[in-house]
Amino acid sequence: MHMTAEKTGQVAVDSGNDGATREIFLPPERKQIRDGGKPHVVAKNFSIFYGDFEAVKSVDAEVLSKYVTAIIGPSGCGKSTYLRSINRMNDLIPSFHTSGTLTFDGEDVYGKYTDEVLLRKKIGMVFQKPNPFPKTIFENIAYGPRLHGINDKKALAEIVETSLKKAALWDEVKDRLDRNALGLSGGQQQRLCVARALAVEPEILLLDEPTSALDPKATAKIEDLIEELRGSYTIMIVTHNMQQASRVSDYTMFFYEGVLVEYAPTKQLFTNPRDQMTEDYITGRFS
Amino acid sequence: MGGSSAFVVSAKKRRMQQIMKMTGESLLFLVASFVAVVVLFIFYFVARDAIPFFQLRGFAEFFTSTNWYPADEPGEFGALAIIYGSGMVTLGSALIAVPLGIAAAICLSDVLPFNIRQYAKPVIEMLAAIPSVAYGFFALVIFAPLLQNFGGTILMWTWWVIAGPFLVLAVVVLGDMVTAGEPDEAKRDRKRLLMNGFFSVLALGLLYWVGNTLNAIQIMSGTNALNVSIILSFMALPTIVSVSEDALQAVGRELREGSYALGATRAETLVQTVLPAASSGILAAVILGIMRALGETMVVWMASGNSSQIPDPWFNYLDSIRTLTATIAGDMGEADQVTGSARYHVLFAMGLLLLIFSFVSNFISERVVVRQRKILSGQ
Amino acid sequence: MNIGTRKLLDRSFTAVGFTSIMLMALALLAVLVPIITGGIKALYFQGTVEHRTLLFNEFQRGDEAKLAVDAERSEAARKPVYEYLAAFDTELESLPFERKRALESEYHHVRDTLHELLGPLPGDTPPLLLRFQYGVTRWEKAEEELHNLLYMTKWDYSDPTKMATQYFAPRVDEFTGTSLEGLFGYVEEHLEEMLLPQPEFYWGFITDRSLDAHIFGGVWAEIQGTFYLAIGAMLFAFPLGVIAAIYFTEYAKDNYLTSMLRSANSTLAGVPSIVFGLFGLAFFINTMKVSESKSVLAGSLTLAIMILPTIIRAAEEAILSVPKTYREASLGLGATKWRTIMTVILPAALPGIITGGIISLGRAAGETAPIIFTAAVSVGATIGIADVFTEPTPALSWNIYNLASEHEAANEIRHVQYGMVMALISIVLLLNISAILLRARISQKLKG
Repeated sequence: MHMTAEKTGQVAVDSGNDGATREIFLPPERKQIRDGGKPHVVAKNFSIFYGDFEAVKSVDAEVLSKYVTAIIGPSGCGKSTYLRSINRMNDLIPSFHTSGTLTFDGEDVYGKYTDEVLLRKKIGMVFQKPNPFPKTIFENIAYGPRLHGINDKKALAEIVETSLKKAALWDEVKDRLDRNALGLSGGQQQRLCVARALAVEPEILLLDEPTSALDPKATAKIEDLIEELRGSYTIMIVTHNMQQASRVSDYTMFFYEGVLVEYAPTKQLFTNPRDQMTEDYITGRFS
Repeated sequence: MGGSSAFVVSAKKRRMQQIMKMTGESLLFLVASFVAVVVLFIFYFVARDAIPFFQLRGFAEFFTSTNWYPADEPGEFGALAIIYGSGMVTLGSALIAVPLGIAAAICLSDVLPFNIRQYAKPVIEMLAAIPSVAYGFFALVIFAPLLQNFGGTILMWTWWVIAGPFLVLAVVVLGDMVTAGEPDEAKRDRKRLLMNGFFSVLALGLLYWVGNTLNAIQIMSGTNALNVSIILSFMALPTIVSVSEDALQAVGRELREGSYALGATRAETLVQTVLPAASSGILAAVILGIMRALGETMVVWMASGNSSQIPDPWFNYLDSIRTLTATIAGDMGEADQVTGSARYHVLFAMGLLLLIFSFVSNFISERVVVRQRKILSGQ
Repeated sequence: MNIGTRKLLDRSFTAVGFTSIMLMALALLAVLVPIITGGIKALYFQGTVEHRTLLFNEFQRGDEAKLAVDAERSEAARKPVYEYLAAFDTELESLPFERKRALESEYHHVRDTLHELLGPLPGDTPPLLLRFQYGVTRWEKAEEELHNLLYMTKWDYSDPTKMATQYFAPRVDEFTGTSLEGLFGYVEEHLEEMLLPQPEFYWGFITDRSLDAHIFGGVWAEIQGTFYLAIGAMLFAFPLGVIAAIYFTEYAKDNYLTSMLRSANSTLAGVPSIVFGLFGLAFFINTMKVSESKSVLAGSLTLAIMILPTIIRAAEEAILSVPKTYREASLGLGATKWRTIMTVILPAALPGIITGGIISLGRAAGETAPIIFTAAVSVGATIGIADVFTEPTPALSWNIYNLASEHEAANEIRHVQYGMVMALISIVLLLNISAILLRARISQKLKG
């Protein structure tokens, strides 16, 4: 079953690089994004295995560029696994393997000649628990650019500033860039992690339950930040929190037991789900 | 079950229960505190027999003189060369065991797949289990003759095998670093090739020259500081590996993922993120490993040559030396005939010195581990 | 840096890690393989008729009839040797003084070597020491001695710029023209008939007492002493350690006192083993006077405090790994805390505790430094179980040192040393391997 977002809501037209015109489906209240909506992360019959266990079962889906796509579903449904497979974070698990194809900008993520280091440079990721390195704030942000060959002090300082500004953290930390990042509050740490991911200028930002360890106030800030970044990056966010998904995303994927049950514009999925299972989940009949 | 109330017992009975419980717990506490008592006793009894030495001879001679003639009349008790010998083999074994041990710990915690790790662990455990006297026997009967007869050749091959790959790597990395500033790609490649050639010539020269120098070395006696350092490093390795591995594991997956997600390779992740975060724990591992080497008796007694001298030149690992532990073990046989003499008490003074070393390093390593835990938890 | 170099560095890094593990495995092999191959030679070797005679005389083992036949055969083969010697003895008397003096010292050497090979020669005064009453017992030694008989070791000083080089000159050249000339060829030809070597599995190496300070015989006294010491240490340390572990895991409050006790534990674990020896001497023997001088008891006590921290740690770990639910279930059924510990927690933790105990037992068996001043003697017979409170004992660890470093014939009895090292390593490694297997079974059980 090939799944593209259902055609409802506001329809916009966008012409992609390939010259083909495609329709984009937006929640009514959301702004359309220029140059967006091209298929960015495309899964074709893509399955993920841990040993014999099939954690994600033949997904077919196109994630569209520069929009926010939320992934929801009960615990253990494979949503995090799917997200983490996009930048090959699962490679660290010994029994992990995949079938089918997953492409990013048309290139095979699990291809024989794929360099996962270069791939990850293009894909930023923020994790469930804020994980700043036990280094200074400056060093945290400069870590990525340094890896990729930027050693010039001035250039680094510039990158640190812009990244922190993009992550809406600059004003809070500009006077203490040389302090240990672990001294920041949880919410600040998480925004620092976003800034750290942005510093390597990725095209996609993967957020793996970025607010689950944060208090409501810090959560709101992260959500604002996502709204800020929407349109500049393709964002995929895994979340437990359905309100959050409906607040921040343009599209939503619903996973259940490894199967992508429904993938639709967020507004539609939450107001008029096509699948009974989706409806049961979003109305809280199981979780 | 005759009483009417189900679980409220008489005050007397309750009191009895409390007393029983208290006595029981106090007994347990007594047993548990036995260890602390033993530690105090060790300090007391070693110090008790060590202090008379300093009363008899003062501190200056012991720590500054290299004349060790305890059997003479009057004896001389300069332990400087012996303390130096202990330091020398400890340093030597640390130089071998620390890099190897940390590399092995990294390999165990981050590189090896789980099923291979299962086989690597028993190797380390067996290395730790082999009794020190067996290592001493190996050092004396098997390794020392080898060193004595083929020392130069062994040193040369060791140098080639170790330095060769590293020099190749250095050539590539240096070539890359020198040419990194060149913006034009084709030009950069050409320049790098040139640089690689240049550095290769240098590296080959170095490889050949040092190899030849080593090959010309004649080792007079196989029982020397080098032999002991190598064997002691085998013995310190298991401690260093297992404690470092714990420290590396404690860093947690989150930091590693954070680094990988930014496009770091495994080496970069480990060197730039995991190792700094685990540095305190690794330091503790190194301290414990060093203590193992410093406190080891049998290997140094059997294979160090036992000559109380500072090698000439001072860094000459091919000379025989003597250590504190070996002196205690070796001299007590004659000294305990003369209990109460300086000759007897000086051995306890050495024991006290070792004890203080071990206490201090143990204290430091504990502090350091606490600090790592604090850093990682973000306090 | 470009991506290629980064990848290369990454791969080299991995390679360094692998290499270090490989090096550790190689180190292990480098130590174990020569010791085991050497040790096997103590048990299995080409034994000569002399060895069989020795075993029969000292331990009354062997086939008497067959031995008599062998003895006769070898005697027949040796007869010409004795005749050569007798003939030369007379010839020597008749030689001019200068010539006689020149030959005499070489002749002594020949006689000594033949004595080594064949035992006392006719005309020798019967030797007192057992080691001189027999010829070579091991065929590989016989071949060495044969070489000593046939060749003289000489040094070549001809090139003064270089170190002198060693070379061998046939000894027979010294005796050309004398009646001894034929001896060398005869011995070379007929050595096998004189000694009748045959492969021998000498299991007595484990169970026999030593003869003449380990020149002959086995190492039972050492093995027994090692067991006495290690088991004695466990008797003290194991109960204490387990009780202390129960206190630390179940009762200790998280306060300053507890953390101090824990520190004391790790301090004790870090004390150098030789310092335990000093302490044992100063405290158990000189102060407490548990025995007059060295004794198994004093050694066991010293070893016990040395292994105590290991046992406590292992037991603590085992107790902590018992699932919390067990505890709650038992307490929930109305069992008291003590009952819960005794009936639920300890049984569940027992395999883990025993694993730690076995490893400590191995450590106690292998340690040398703590027993040097408290329990070990170099020569000694086996002691009865009643004597452990007063008598010192030989032990494998100490006697390996002693035979290898201080024995007057250390080079002659390498096979005994190897055999002892192998025996010690086998004991320790068997204990460790059984602990590893036990642990593997536990973890399999926990997995379900």
